[in-house]
Amino acid sequence: MRFNFPTWTNRFVPVLIVTILGGAAYVGAVVFAATDPQTLNIGHKPTQPVPFSHKTHAGRLKMDCRYCHNTVDKAAFAAIPPTATCSNCHTGADANGSVSVSAVHSDSPNLALVRQSQATGEPIDWMKVHDLPDYVYFDHSAHVNSGVSCVSCHGRVDRMDVVEQVKTLSMTFCLDCHRNPDPHLRPLEHVTDLAWVPDEEPEVIGGRIREELNINPRTNCSTCHR
Amino acid sequence: MSKTWYRSLRELENTAEFQEMLHREFPEAASEFPKGLSRRRWLQIMGSSLALAGVSGCRFEAETLAPFATRPANRIPGKTQQFNTTVEIAGQARALRATSYDGRPIKLDGNPDHLSSGGASDSYTQATILDLYDPDRGQTPIESTGGSKFNRSWIEADTFLTEQFSQFAGSKGDGLCVLAESTSSPTAQRLKTALQDKFPQMKWFDYSSLSPVNSRGGATLAFGKPVRTEYDLESAAVVVTIDSDLLGQHPEGLRNARSFSRGRNPDSEQMTRLYAVECEFTGTAVAADHRVALRPSQIAGFLASVEQALASDEETHAADESAPWSQQVFAALVDDLKKHPGQSVITVGERQPVEVHALAHRLNQKLGNVGKTVTLLPDESSADTFDEFVTHAEANGGSMLLLLGGNPVYDSPADVEVAELMEKFENRVHFAVYPNETSAVCNWYLPMSHPLECWSDATLYDGTYGVAQPLIEPLFESRSQIEFLAGLLGEETDGLELVRQTARELYPELKSTREWERVVHNGFHADSTAKPITPELQNFEGPAASTEWQNPVEVTNGELEVVFTTDSSVLDGRFANNAWLQELPHPLTKMTWSNAAIMSPKTADALGVKDDDVVRLELDGREIELPVYVQPGQATGSVAVAIGYGRTHAGLVGGDVEEGVAPVGVNAGVIRTAGNRYFATGLKVSPTGRREELAVTQDHYAIDKVGLEEIHGRVGDLVREGTLDEYREHPEFAEHRVHHPPLESLWTEVSYDGHAWGMAIDLNKCIGCNACVVACQSENNVPVVGPDQVRASREMHWMKVDRYFTGDTEEPEVATQPVTCQHCENAPCEQVCPVAATVHSNEGLNDMAYNRCIGTRYCGNNCPYKVRRFNFLDYRSEMEAANRELMNLVLNPEVTVRSRGVMEKCTYCVQRIQNTRIEAKNERRPIGPNEIQTACQQVCASEAIVFGDLNNPESDVAKAHADARAYGLLAELNVKPRTKYLARIRNPHPWLAPPVESAHGHGGDGHGEEAHGEHAHADERHDAEVSHNSVPAPTQELREEQV
Amino acid sequence: MATALAAPVDTTIEDPTRRPPLVTGDHDYQSITDTIHSISEHKTPRAWYIAFAVSSTATVTFFLLIGYLIYQGVGVWGNNNPVFWGWPIVNFVFWVGIGHAGTLISAILFLFRQNWRTSVNRFAEAMTIFAVVCAGIFPGIHVGRVWFAYWLAPYPATRLDMWPNFRSPLLWDVFAVSTYATVSLLFWYMGMIPDLATFRDRSKSKIKQFVYGVFALGWNGSARHWHRYEKAYMLLAALATPLVLSVHTVVSFDFAVAQLPGWHATIFPPYFVAGAVFSGFAMVITLMVPARKWFGLKDLVTLRHLENMCKVILATGSMVGFAYAIEFFIAWYGGNPYEGFAFINRAFGPYAWAYWTMVSCNVIAPQFFWIKKVRTTPWMMFIICIFVNIGMWFERFVITVTSLSRDFLPSSWAYFKPTPIDMAMFACSFGLFFTLFLLFCRYLPIVAMAEVKSVMPVPESEAKNDTKA
Repeated sequence: MRFNFPTWTNRFVPVLIVTILGGAAYVGAVVFAATDPQTLNIGHKPTQPVPFSHKTHAGRLKMDCRYCHNTVDKAAFAAIPPTATCSNCHTGADANGSVSVSAVHSDSPNLALVRQSQATGEPIDWMKVHDLPDYVYFDHSAHVNSGVSCVSCHGRVDRMDVVEQVKTLSMTFCLDCHRNPDPHLRPLEHVTDLAWVPDEEPEVIGGRIREELNINPRTNCSTCHR
Repeated sequence: MSKTWYRSLRELENTAEFQEMLHREFPEAASEFPKGLSRRRWLQIMGSSLALAGVSGCRFEAETLAPFATRPANRIPGKTQQFNTTVEIAGQARALRATSYDGRPIKLDGNPDHLSSGGASDSYTQATILDLYDPDRGQTPIESTGGSKFNRSWIEADTFLTEQFSQFAGSKGDGLCVLAESTSSPTAQRLKTALQDKFPQMKWFDYSSLSPVNSRGGATLAFGKPVRTEYDLESAAVVVTIDSDLLGQHPEGLRNARSFSRGRNPDSEQMTRLYAVECEFTGTAVAADHRVALRPSQIAGFLASVEQALASDEETHAADESAPWSQQVFAALVDDLKKHPGQSVITVGERQPVEVHALAHRLNQKLGNVGKTVTLLPDESSADTFDEFVTHAEANGGSMLLLLGGNPVYDSPADVEVAELMEKFENRVHFAVYPNETSAVCNWYLPMSHPLECWSDATLYDGTYGVAQPLIEPLFESRSQIEFLAGLLGEETDGLELVRQTARELYPELKSTREWERVVHNGFHADSTAKPITPELQNFEGPAASTEWQNPVEVTNGELEVVFTTDSSVLDGRFANNAWLQELPHPLTKMTWSNAAIMSPKTADALGVKDDDVVRLELDGREIELPVYVQPGQATGSVAVAIGYGRTHAGLVGGDVEEGVAPVGVNAGVIRTAGNRYFATGLKVSPTGRREELAVTQDHYAIDKVGLEEIHGRVGDLVREGTLDEYREHPEFAEHRVHHPPLESLWTEVSYDGHAWGMAIDLNKCIGCNACVVACQSENNVPVVGPDQVRASREMHWMKVDRYFTGDTEEPEVATQPVTCQHCENAPCEQVCPVAATVHSNEGLNDMAYNRCIGTRYCGNNCPYKVRRFNFLDYRSEMEAANRELMNLVLNPEVTVRSRGVMEKCTYCVQRIQNTRIEAKNERRPIGPNEIQTACQQVCASEAIVFGDLNNPESDVAKAHADARAYGLLAELNVKPRTKYLARIRNPHPWLAPPVESAHGHGGDGHGEEAHGEHAHADERHDAEVSHNSVPAPTQELREEQV
Repeated sequence: MATALAAPVDTTIEDPTRRPPLVTGDHDYQSITDTIHSISEHKTPRAWYIAFAVSSTATVTFFLLIGYLIYQGVGVWGNNNPVFWGWPIVNFVFWVGIGHAGTLISAILFLFRQNWRTSVNRFAEAMTIFAVVCAGIFPGIHVGRVWFAYWLAPYPATRLDMWPNFRSPLLWDVFAVSTYATVSLLFWYMGMIPDLATFRDRSKSKIKQFVYGVFALGWNGSARHWHRYEKAYMLLAALATPLVLSVHTVVSFDFAVAQLPGWHATIFPPYFVAGAVFSGFAMVITLMVPARKWFGLKDLVTLRHLENMCKVILATGSMVGFAYAIEFFIAWYGGNPYEGFAFINRAFGPYAWAYWTMVSCNVIAPQFFWIKKVRTTPWMMFIICIFVNIGMWFERFVITVTSLSRDFLPSSWAYFKPTPIDMAMFACSFGLFFTLFLLFCRYLPIVAMAEVKSVMPVPESEAKNDTKA
């Protein structure tokens, strides 16, 4: 007895083709989208042990980034400030309960952890927001001193109550700029001015700065991977 | 991926535990450590904080950053800082510069400001950093009672000590005996005297297995008092080393190596000539122009004969060709010494008896070298009084024996039963960095701090006062020696204060804090260097001249001579637990992870043994069994055995019988008696029939005839050598040694107009000391793989120092050649990598992107130098047991830690290039011509390695590449290596120079036509032939007979 | 109905005037179908179960070992520095080589109208597929970080337009082998359709009917079907032919493109292809001789078939021998000292034993095929072919290992020792091969019935009728 495809199966042939092709395309799209740095990296927004607001400090109070991240132009790491830095303003009451005149929010419950840390010397465990892969060696000083603004990678931190990652910081992201830095360069004095808007074409300004600082970013593997 | 380690370490930097550990206010606070926790447990805590980074959130990895509450002054997180300090290794003080990263030292180098090293360092110094993080170090006081051990706190230990010493206070220290490892620390001396004042009855003895008894004795015999000798090898015309490793193991080895290599400049009108008369092949002899291998017992006679010959006025004549080698060299040597009065140096190694040392002093006097090439300095060090200790202990015993450092139970002479002697004391207290064999027979072990953990001071060889500052608070519950001694005195125990007090007493000018801080900053007190002395030469009976040395030795079993050598890896055993050093190939044997019975081919044949045969060495009643290593150039009829192996209580690396870890190698001390500490005659060698494969990194197996002939043919082309005459006649001889067709690339050549990084290695300077290998390992996080993997020829060293023997098997010449990634411009590895993980940078670096590598290993196959290293297994986990995370603190955060399955190789220390580049850029200045130093270059005492920008005419490397001697290794493959070698120039005495026609015939055709390939390949062979006349056949010849 | 040749004939006569029949014995269309189908129709013989038990166990072990390898790392093999490529690559090349006969027989012989191919092609093609499966596994698991092996695929990684390095022969390999695998599979399946239909129609059980039915794609033997089938088959054959040459050419590039003495040789491509065909045919015979006995295919796979294959082996074997000679000649004539040494070292160095095993197996053994007796006695040719198989594995070993173990700098020379894992994995890869093969013998038409029928000698009676008409 011979088995053969009954004629009604013919109807399914186009359906089959469509499903196979369509399915493949769909899966591909999903995988692509899912593995995209856009999806993977952007939006990391951990809650910090101390509700520190960049919006308040950098934005409203116009404090310079380097007041706290003071190693950013000297070292690879823009160090998280020591508790002492906070305490410059947010000193708590001293041993005999007296509070210095200049002290700000000296008794705010939000700052309890800061005061405690200051007292005990225990560090505050801040959550890391911008976290590059371990095999990437990024150097803040090299960029800041070449007129690459904080905003290029960290976005308008001065508008964030809670800092979150807004750029992919993927290898493509780095290379785009390394291949064509001009639009991202600005006068050194404006590097930490997140709100700065160029009065002429960014490329033009960038080009000029690139000239005078003779900036020619490398795209060698060993530039970032050692 | 083990990669995450360093980053998590960086986190660790900032975790509370770690900060606490680093910044505890008082050293005493060591007792803040979790009480009663075993090391294992405590390290698990460490481990957990290390693993901290791995806590993963639902979508993003949650990493925490824990900044200081208050950041220390001028500390920039993630930026390295440098501190000068002084570290004493086996009683030898070394002026060092430590690199510290976020409060943890990660590298040690010589202090460039001090002459003793000029910034160079040796393998021991490099590896010392690993000991700092060795969890096998003593971590808490241990009391052993009733055969079992208990971890105690210092509080308990102190209670015990105070109680004991209160008694001694009454008895004026009667019954108290101290056996201290010799130290040059003035503070220690001061406290010792203080103790002696407080406890007059106390007996104090100094001991070190390496104390320079003979040279001291020799000097005393010659001048009536001990003196130290310094040499100016740069301006010396003739240097004669008598059984001495002048450029290596000698206390001033680094300084000597540097001044020697400067004197070896073939372009200067006078190039130093080096004669080496010795038994085992030393690193110094690698650089020698003429070497005579004599049994140690014959050497005295040899030197005596030299004195005789010098005394006689009759003309010296060349010995005829047929005469034994020793006689030929003797004639030339005498001739040279006569010709160069006041321009020669004669130096004797510690192994030779006192008379020989004295004789050397006398000869230097007679030849008028003293004051010119030889400088005498006062020797303030305290004499070794171990023998007195023995007599005292046997006679009296006592209530307490206090051992300060050292390991007499292991390294004292075999015929002294130290363990039994110690039984004569009720209480035995061992205060040392590592618990060892000696601690095992003590009822108290007290942990001593690592030199990098504490304040101290020391006297450098040239008398300079050096200060040691702590780089890190003690990692364990340990105390520094001076703090401990002060504690015994019941005095103030602040290390800093103790040292300052000494400084104040010794050098009033250091009273001012400013001056003191300057000294601490510099690491030493410049003005304290000893002034040369000119002591009166005494009359004494030198060794008798003999003719024994003149004729070749007949090998007669039972009459053999055994020579005990201090090992280039573990020294006297104190580095037995240091994996870096254990795996460091011996400069000449290329042996790792063990010692062996080293004998010359002739000897081996006479005894009917070959490589890897386990033999029994019998010396008056005592015997050991260890495998044979056949080493050309070992004096015929002698067997060399390295001490310092076979440790039973070294640790999890070097062997720990209690933990079930077998000892590494065999303890030669078993046949080493007080009478023959250095060598002995009457050795009997008998095969056991067993075989034991040694872990060797070169010549992995006894080579066959075919391979042998090929090596014979190649060596001359790889390691290019010429005599000084040849060089003067045809400076380009090296370039022309290999002829090849014109080198044309299939592709248009890339031009490098920015920086062009390159390296040059001067074979004329390299003495194959291996320091570069360890330095590289330390700088680049190169893993250790262990003996089995080495046997499988999977060692990971990025830098290998090849050595080839040439010439007669009993009197060979040796050539060394450091080989590392040559950063070829036409890199064969890059062509074949399917994922483009290794590609070229626009500055000519052969970049290796580990995180792109999938490990097809095709690059390794296609690399003609075979310098690529593959992580066949996860070597980190291999070597680091669950409780050894602490080891990870030694890693250099600037370099990726490679995972299993990834290819790795030398990067020209790209991390240093990048950091310097950024620095320079930030400072808006160009990179200096010689600003960037690779790790290997930095340590090289003989300045053989230079690195820099080939496009910068100012740079040393550019000059080196332009040098006439420069040639590219395997350049005929048109791979365009960025590393060039400078040909080696030998400076033989005219009488012993190789037949002229070789030089001429060769130079001739080199000269005639520029070697742009007019030569067919056919005569390349011929060419090689010619070159072999000057570079005779390699000596595995003898192996061939065995094969 | 009367059949062609009731009387046994000598099919091995060398007489151009009288073409010996390609099918002997008392056969007609019906009986052929019966013979072939019965193999899968009848109750499974115990021997099959035993064989299958053994081979499938080996297969499982194989995959366990692969698991262990991935868990531990490549270090479980004997590979070292300088011998970065060891047995895995040797096995890979070995299996790929074997996978050559199939397509050659089906495609090239088809285009050359070599009718005698019909009885053996199905068998050979199956062997090809299975060999390529084994081959494909080794390079896959050979890399240090298997989980990233997909980076070899040509796609722009990490949104970076970062492509693989197209200059690397390894990448060419990926393409060559995968293409070859696909086309061979397609070819094999295509050719099988009519026979599958036959199976479909003859099988009793519903499941079989359905399964065969599905794969028969509704074949009903209509003239139209046949017409298209022939066309398609022809086209595929044309497509497959260049592949036969390309695959092993590319594989040879893995070595020839490197600058390693002993690898860097222009003769490699032809020499590898010849070697591959050589080993391929050897394997066909190794399998065919017992198979034709057990499955009673003596009439379909006649001595002539075997003899023809022996002739091919003889020819290709001689080519290989010639290649060996040329290699040495060039090594000397080229005057490159490193090249020169590489070959002296092969013949007289520490691996001389491997080299001479290779020569005696590959060059000397096949020469016996000059003797007709040997060519026509199954057990003799079987033995020789076993030798050839061994020899060809050693050829790859010699090329890969000896060249690597001693290259430019004597300081990096080292001796390669395989580990038990190495050996176990090689042995077990045969398990996989035979498992697949046993399944094939059991469930698929091992001889192309349809094609055989087309080359059957025409019965005289019908011949007469023809003349009458």
